[in-house]
Amino acid sequence: MSYIEVEGLRKTFTVRKKREKGKLFREKEIVEALKGISFTVEKGELVGYIGPNGAGKSTTVKILSGILTPESGKASVGGRVPWKDRKDYVKHIGVVFGQRSQLWWDVPIIDSFSLLKDIYKIPEKDYKVRLSELTEALSLEKLMRTPLRLLSLGQKMRAELCGSLLHRPELLFLDEPTIGLDAVSKLALREFLKWENKEHGTTIMLTTHDMEDIAALCSRVMVLGHGQKLFDGHLNDLLEKFDKVRTVSVKYDIGTPALKLPEGVNADQKDGEIRITYSPSELPTSNMLSILQNAGNIREMTLESENIDHLIAAMYKEMDL
Amino acid sequence: MLNTIHLYIRSMGMLLKSHLQYPASFFMQTLAQLVMEGGEMLAVILVIDRFENLKQWSGANLFFFFGLMSVSFYITEFFGRGITGNFPSMVRNGQLDTLLLRPRNVLTQVLCSGVDPRRISCIAVGVTAMIMGSNMSDVSWSFLKVLALIESVLMSCMLILGLFMIEGIFCIHSVKSVELVNALTYGGRSACQYPIDIYPRPLKILFSVVAPFAMTMHVPAAYILGKPLYGWPTWTVFVTPLSGIAVLFVMSMLFNKGIRFYRSTGS
Repeated sequence: MSYIEVEGLRKTFTVRKKREKGKLFREKEIVEALKGISFTVEKGELVGYIGPNGAGKSTTVKILSGILTPESGKASVGGRVPWKDRKDYVKHIGVVFGQRSQLWWDVPIIDSFSLLKDIYKIPEKDYKVRLSELTEALSLEKLMRTPLRLLSLGQKMRAELCGSLLHRPELLFLDEPTIGLDAVSKLALREFLKWENKEHGTTIMLTTHDMEDIAALCSRVMVLGHGQKLFDGHLNDLLEKFDKVRTVSVKYDIGTPALKLPEGVNADQKDGEIRITYSPSELPTSNMLSILQNAGNIREMTLESENIDHLIAAMYKEMDL
Repeated sequence: MLNTIHLYIRSMGMLLKSHLQYPASFFMQTLAQLVMEGGEMLAVILVIDRFENLKQWSGANLFFFFGLMSVSFYITEFFGRGITGNFPSMVRNGQLDTLLLRPRNVLTQVLCSGVDPRRISCIAVGVTAMIMGSNMSDVSWSFLKVLALIESVLMSCMLILGLFMIEGIFCIHSVKSVELVNALTYGGRSACQYPIDIYPRPLKILFSVVAPFAMTMHVPAAYILGKPLYGWPTWTVFVTPLSGIAVLFVMSMLFNKGIRFYRSTGS
C-alpha cells in the first residue's frame, strides 16, 4: 500500500453570481474544482504538482490536509483519512501556504515557535533538538528575537518552514512556497527542502508555478488542468513530449554563406549571426550540423532548447487549458 | 483540559505582548473606550435622574443592573475577543485554514487567537457602577449574595459568548457575517441593562428563553438587591443562571458541527 492513495476525488463549489438586472434571484453556478483525481505517492517522494491558476491544485492540498471534505472519492495518507478525525491526522502533516502566515505577526518568531510547541504538545527535549537543527539548516539564528512583521519575505518563508516542521511531520505540503522570493532565497529554500527530504525521509508535495522549482527538486511531476490529472511522471518525459524545437545560432569566419536548408526551415540573419529554428524529429540534429559545416568555416555555434516556461505554456495550450 | 488552559494562558500572554508593541495606540484606545463607556453610564444616570423609580426599582438598583451588564459583557469581550470580534474576518481571509491544520479543537484555538485588553476601562466603569449601585441600595452583603454575584457574572459571560458564537456559525456557512445576530448580542446588552420586568411580554420571552439574560443576570441581581424577581424562592437564584452554560454548550456543539461545512476561500 502506498503512503498517499487518492482515488476518484471530486469536489464542487457553488458560486453565487451577482444578480442580473430584471431577475428575482441570483443565479447559482456549480464549479467542479476536481473531477475525479487519482494518484499514489510513495513515502519519501518529492512530488511537484503543477497546473494553471484555478486548476484545482490548492483544492487537492486542502482536501489532503483535512481542511475540506470532498464530495466523493477516497483518500488515505499513511492509512488515515484526512477529513476524518482531523485532530489526530494533522499531527502527522505540515503545511506551508506561500501567501498565508501561520506565525504570530507581532511577536518574535522564537515565541511563536514556543507556542507551537505547546499546541503540538512536543516534548521539551525533542523540541530543543529539532529547533536547533532547523534554525541551523535555515540559518535563522540571528532572526529568532525579531518580530515576524519586521522580516523580509524570504526570511518569513524560512520562519514559516521552521514552524511547520517543528513537530516532525511525515508529510509536508507546500503551496507555492517560492512565490515572490528572490533568487538567493529560492536557491536556499530548495537546498533546505532537499536536505529535509533526504535527512528525515519527509514526503514532500509542492504546488508551484516556478518550473525551476520542479526541475531542481522533483523527480516526479503531476500536471493538473480543469480538475483533471493530465500527466504523471518524470519531468524529462513531460518535456520530451513538448520539447520539439531547437534553435541553433552560428557565426562563420567569413560573411554569411547561403545555406541549403530543407523546405520549411527558416533562418534569420542578424549582425553576421544566423539563427535557425528546426524540429529534431523532422530534421535530425546531425544532418543539420553537416549542412552548417559544408557551408563554411564555423567560428562559433550554440544549440539551445526551448525555455522551460515556454514548454509549459505550449503544453497548457495543447492540452487546452 | 489542563493543557488547554495552559495553552490559553500562554496565548493570552503572547497576545498581550503584541498589543503592547504599540503602546501609544493601546493607551489612546483604552482611553477612548473609557470615554465611550463612561458616556453610556452618564446616559443611565440621566434616565434615572428623570424617573427616579422604574416600577419597583429605585435609581440605585438600576445602576447596579447596568454595572452587572457592563462587567459581564466586557469581561467576555476582553477574554473572548477571538469569538466576539475576530472570527468573521478569520473566515473571510482564510486564517481559519491555519487553525484547522493544528491538532487542537478549533474553538479553543479561536479563543486563544484574540484578547482585547482595552476593555479594561469598560470593566472598571462597570465595577464602579456596581459598587455605587449596591452602596446606594444599602445591600447587606452575605456569603450567599457574593456567591450569587460571582455565579451571575460567570454564567452571563458564557451566555454572551454563546450568543456571539451564533454569528460565527452563520459565518462559516455564508462567509459573510450576519448582522441580524447583533440584535441578540449588542441588542441584548442595551435592553438587559434594565431589569426584565419593565418590558412587554414578547421581549420578556426573548430575553428569558432565547437569550436568557434575565435568567443569568436579573434573577440573581434582584435577589442581591433584596427584591426577588416575581417573588421566586432563593434557590432559583443559583439554578436559573445555569442557562448560560447551557446556551454555550449547545452553541459549541453546533459550532463544531458547522466547521465540517467550512469551504475555505481561494489562495
